[in-house]
Amino acid sequence: MNETFLTITEVIMMPIVAFIIGLFMVLMMRKLAARIQRRIGPGVFQPLYDIVKLYGKQTQISHGLIHDIGIIMAVGGYVAAVTLLPVPGMNGIADKGGIITLTYLLMVPSLGLALGVGQCANPNGSIGISRALTSMLAYDIPFIIVIFGVATHFSSTSLVSIIAAQQVGGFGTWGISEMPLLALAGLFALHASLGKHPFEIYVAPAEIATGPMVEMGGKFLGGLFVMQSFQLYAASVLYVSLFLGGGENWVTFLLKCFAVLIIPFAIAYLFPRYRTEDLVRLMWKWPVMLALLGIAFVMN
Amino acid sequence: MKKSDLDKVKIKQIPAQKRTNPFANVFDEFVGFCRSRSMFMLHYCTGCGAIELPPAMTSRFDMERLGIQPMVSPRQADILLITGYVSIKTLKRVILTYEQMAAPKYVIGICSCTVNGGMYWQSYATAKKLDEYFPVDLYIAGCMPRPEAVIEGLQQLMQKIKANEANSWKQYYKNYDYFLGNQQHLFGNNWQTPTDVIGEAETYQLAGPNTLGEHTKILQSVQTPLKPLEMKL
Repeated sequence: MNETFLTITEVIMMPIVAFIIGLFMVLMMRKLAARIQRRIGPGVFQPLYDIVKLYGKQTQISHGLIHDIGIIMAVGGYVAAVTLLPVPGMNGIADKGGIITLTYLLMVPSLGLALGVGQCANPNGSIGISRALTSMLAYDIPFIIVIFGVATHFSSTSLVSIIAAQQVGGFGTWGISEMPLLALAGLFALHASLGKHPFEIYVAPAEIATGPMVEMGGKFLGGLFVMQSFQLYAASVLYVSLFLGGGENWVTFLLKCFAVLIIPFAIAYLFPRYRTEDLVRLMWKWPVMLALLGIAFVMN
Repeated sequence: MKKSDLDKVKIKQIPAQKRTNPFANVFDEFVGFCRSRSMFMLHYCTGCGAIELPPAMTSRFDMERLGIQPMVSPRQADILLITGYVSIKTLKRVILTYEQMAAPKYVIGICSCTVNGGMYWQSYATAKKLDEYFPVDLYIAGCMPRPEAVIEGLQQLMQKIKANEANSWKQYYKNYDYFLGNQQHLFGNNWQTPTDVIGEAETYQLAGPNTLGEHTKILQSVQTPLKPLEMKL
């Protein structure tokens, strides 16, 4: 009974913690972009102001029931996913779910967004979401290979035991030092899954007017802003759990999470973006080759 | 529709209610503060004033430190920034854009052309005063105003929002008949937009005695219901 109560508390606490950390990740992204462009950048609470303002809009334009449900699916997919990601002191339902359930849940938000955008009947939105699903197809191939490689190496699909196995011998037993090729391929897939430059094919503000977000105003865009902070958190925590030994305590855990995100953000604001077919060709060539080579070493 | 039917179209008016809960007031102030610190800007760059916006946004003056970001879709935006003269053809698009934005929405007219027509005063094809066609919160005069002036104006708007004075968007619902009359004067009596402003005014309880009038009667007599676009390959 006591254990059940503890699990329920953790399942409630984990999304809240994830949201707060995610807000700071969004802030870091915007600050980093500003510093790269020699600007000052937004204030500390800017991501929060944006979300509160969007939810505080007085006229909300909905395009129908599926539009609302799509956004709930997009946010809910990530909320469910973060309860499967162990953080220091809180395992949630990570030992029951495992890495394969997590992989499924990480695809739900894109599909939810596709549902929601489908009802808007805006051609820019349709083009955007078709691009988003194409890019998901592109980065999921290396991502799945990386996941299977890591699971094979540690002979487990439970994130809790993967993290425990990495924490035994310090840096020497971290995923990144035992499987560097898989870690590199995983970084590629992480960057593409965040949808930042040069893989930002589906937002493309100058071309298709932010694609899936084009008809989203008010609380819908607020929901997407919430989703973005969850997305950054989920992607970085998953990478830290697979390759950087998870978190021994909150300080090292947060340091690792933010450090992982600095790499794609620092690259993102220096480059223009690929075309859709170039992205698919790139993702199915280099990260897949790296990941297959890495998996060959793992199986050896 | 017969004329006698049109007279029956009446909007139910609900008197404004004061919020008595003190926490609600604190919450409202917090939301107002967030509104003033986070403004998404849709810049409708019609004229030469557009050239002053890139320096205001980029590293020299950096609007983002005030929470002002450019957005590309009217659904996402809070501020409609009109930078220069508005020809009659453009004005139609500006009104369509304005009506699609989610309230609270603010309009800023930059350059003297939006104030009184500027150097296009004698042009037959240019709308002279922007606030005859939809409410404008702030004008930034100048030909063209420098980026400092643009940012100064935006900061004034921030103060207005914080003090809960930037409510001109409600005027569009309350005085819709007046604005629609001016629009019909330019575009002819067949003018209609995809947004059902009267319906929105009723839904959000923003209708006033001047929402309906002779011009909305003309609108309702010519209005054809919107149909979904035909799908073609």
